[in-house]
Amino acid sequence: MSVSATLSDEIYLQVVTFLYREAYLLDHWKLEEWLSLLTEDACYLMPVRITEEGIGSGGFLPGLYHFEENKSSLTLRIKRLQTQFAWGENPPPRTRRFIGGVLVHRGDRDHELEVTSSLLFLRSRGDSPDLGILSAERQDILRLTPEGLRLARRLILLDHTVPSLESLFIL
Amino acid sequence: MAARTRSGLRLSDGTPLKELVRVEEGRIAARVFTDPEIYQLELERIFLRCWLAVAHESEIPHPGDYVTRRMGEDPVIVVRDRAGQIHVLLNSCTHRGAEICRASRGNTREFVCPYHGYRFHLDGELASAPAHEWAYDQRFDRKAFTLHRARVGTYGGLIFATWDASAPPLEEYLGDMRWYLDLLLRRTAGGVEVVGAPHRWIIEANWKTGADNFIGDGLHTFMTHRYAIELGVLPNDPLIGWFGWHISIGRGHGVAMVGAPERIPLPPYLGLPQELWPLLERALTDVQRRVLERTATIHGTVFPNLSLLNTTTITTEEGVPRVPFLTLRVWIPLGPHRMEILSWFLVEKEGPEWYKEASRKNYERTFGLTGTFEEDDADIWVSLTRANRGAFARKYHVFNYEMGLHRQPRPKAEWPGPGDAYWGDYCEANQRTFWAQWRHLMAEDGG
Repeated sequence: MSVSATLSDEIYLQVVTFLYREAYLLDHWKLEEWLSLLTEDACYLMPVRITEEGIGSGGFLPGLYHFEENKSSLTLRIKRLQTQFAWGENPPPRTRRFIGGVLVHRGDRDHELEVTSSLLFLRSRGDSPDLGILSAERQDILRLTPEGLRLARRLILLDHTVPSLESLFIL
Repeated sequence: MAARTRSGLRLSDGTPLKELVRVEEGRIAARVFTDPEIYQLELERIFLRCWLAVAHESEIPHPGDYVTRRMGEDPVIVVRDRAGQIHVLLNSCTHRGAEICRASRGNTREFVCPYHGYRFHLDGELASAPAHEWAYDQRFDRKAFTLHRARVGTYGGLIFATWDASAPPLEEYLGDMRWYLDLLLRRTAGGVEVVGAPHRWIIEANWKTGADNFIGDGLHTFMTHRYAIELGVLPNDPLIGWFGWHISIGRGHGVAMVGAPERIPLPPYLGLPQELWPLLERALTDVQRRVLERTATIHGTVFPNLSLLNTTTITTEEGVPRVPFLTLRVWIPLGPHRMEILSWFLVEKEGPEWYKEASRKNYERTFGLTGTFEEDDADIWVSLTRANRGAFARKYHVFNYEMGLHRQPRPKAEWPGPGDAYWGDYCEANQRTFWAQWRHLMAEDGG
C-alpha cells in the first residue's frame, strides 16, 4: 500500500462520488447503468466467512464464495430480474446502501486505485416491518479510464457468517 | 399438552395427529408446517431419534479437526480424535452447560470450558476439573462427567449421528438409499470432498419445506424457476422435469433420476468430465453405470432433513459449457417458522482443476444464499410458511398430495435400481413416503 489520498484531494472526491453513484443506481434498480460502471474484465467476489478462534484470523477459508462473478454472469443475474420471474426480487424489495469509511490508496499500477469502504445494506421486502441487514467491508480496485472511474474488482468481506436473509442477487 | 391415546398421539386441541397426514388419500394438513406444538414434538420424536447428517469427513481430515453443527436445535461438535475416530459431542459442559467450543471450525488438542475450566478430551471424556481434590473433597468421579456423545456412523464420507441408542445401524437406516448415495458419493474410488466451508443462512420457513421439495418435486421447476426458461437457461418445455424416474425408497427416503426424451442429446454421466469416466466405470456396477449414463439431474431427501442435488442442466454464463455440480444440504429446524440451511458443495477429488472450478461457480451462482435457483425456492417456502400460520389455515387448510396416487411402480425390467420406481417425476409418491415416515414417528411409533 502506498500514498493515500486525503479528503481534499480531487481524486478522493471522485472516488467517493463514484461509490455514492453506484449505490444510488443499485438502490434505484438502474442495474444496466450500474453494469456499465464495471470494466469488461471485472470480478466480483464475496467469500464465505466462518467463526474461528484467535484474533486476526478473519475466518476466510479458501474455497467457497457467495459471489464469484464476472461481468457476463452478473449480466445474466440482472437479465433474470427483467423476466419478472425472479420471485425473491419481485415485488422488488426496497434497498438502502450506506457507504462510509472510504480510504483511497494509489495501487501498484498507475491507472488503478485501491479503495476500502464500509457498507451497510438494509432491505425491506413485502409488507414485513423487519429489515434485512448486511454489513461488510469492500476492497475495490477502481480503474481510471478515459470515460472516468470504473470498477475492476470488488472483494466483499461480509461481517455475517450466517446471514438471515432469504435471497440476495447482488450486494 | 399432547397426549397418547389408543388411536395414537392427540394434540392439545384433541386432534389426532394421524388425521393431519392422510397420505393414502393424498392429503396433508397445512398445520403440520406451522404449528408450534407439532414442531416441539418433531424435535423430540424425529430429531432425537433419527440418524442426522452433520458433516463430511473431508471437513475434518486431521486429528483434532472439528466443526460445530446442530442436531435439531442441539449444538454439537463433530471432532476427529488422535486415533482418527470421529465423535459427535453435545456442545455443553457437563458442569453448568456453557458452550465448550465457540468457533465453527478449527483444530484443537482438547476442549476447555470457559466458565470453570473443565477440560475434555476429544472423545468427550472429562480430563480434569480445576482444583477438584479440594473443590470436591477428593470424591470427584471424573468418568461420570463425559460430554453427551451421540452414536456416529459414516457412509460415503458423510458423517451421521443419532441420540437414540436403540436406533438401527446407519446402514440399515439408509437401506436402499445407499445404492443412490453411491451414485453421488462413491462414483469414483477417491469419492467426493467438501470445498471450503458450507453456505449457511437462515430463512423464515419451516424445515420440512426443503425436505418435501427436494425429495420429489419435479413439477415446480417449470414455474418456480421460470426465469431460467425465459432466458433459455432451461428448455421451454412444460415436460422438462417429467422425463425421469421417481423412486420411493421407504423409511421416508426418496430420490429422482431425471433424464431427457430420446430425441434430446445428453452428455453421458451427468456431464462429468471425460477424465473421470474410466474411474467411474471402475467404481460403479454395470447397472449403476447404465442408469447414470442418461441422467441429467438427481435430487432426493434422506429422512428427515438431508437433501441432495446433482445437476448438469443449468448454465450461469453465456457461451460457457454446462458443467454438473453436487450439493448436499441439511434443513436445520430453528423454530416452527425458521430454519438454517447448511449447504455443502462437493466435487470429485480426482476431478481436473478446470472442472472443479467451473462446477463450483455453477453451484455458487444457482444455489446457496445468492444462488438464483435457491432464491426462487426460498422465497416461496417463506411465503408458504407465512401464509399458513393463521387460525383458519391451521384448522381447515389441507394440501393436495395426489400426484401419481393411482400410478403403479414399474417392474424391475424397466428400472433396475432398488425402490418403488414410478415413471415420470411429476409425482408425489416420494413426498407421501416422507410424510408416511413422519406420521409413523410422530403419531404411531411408541417412541
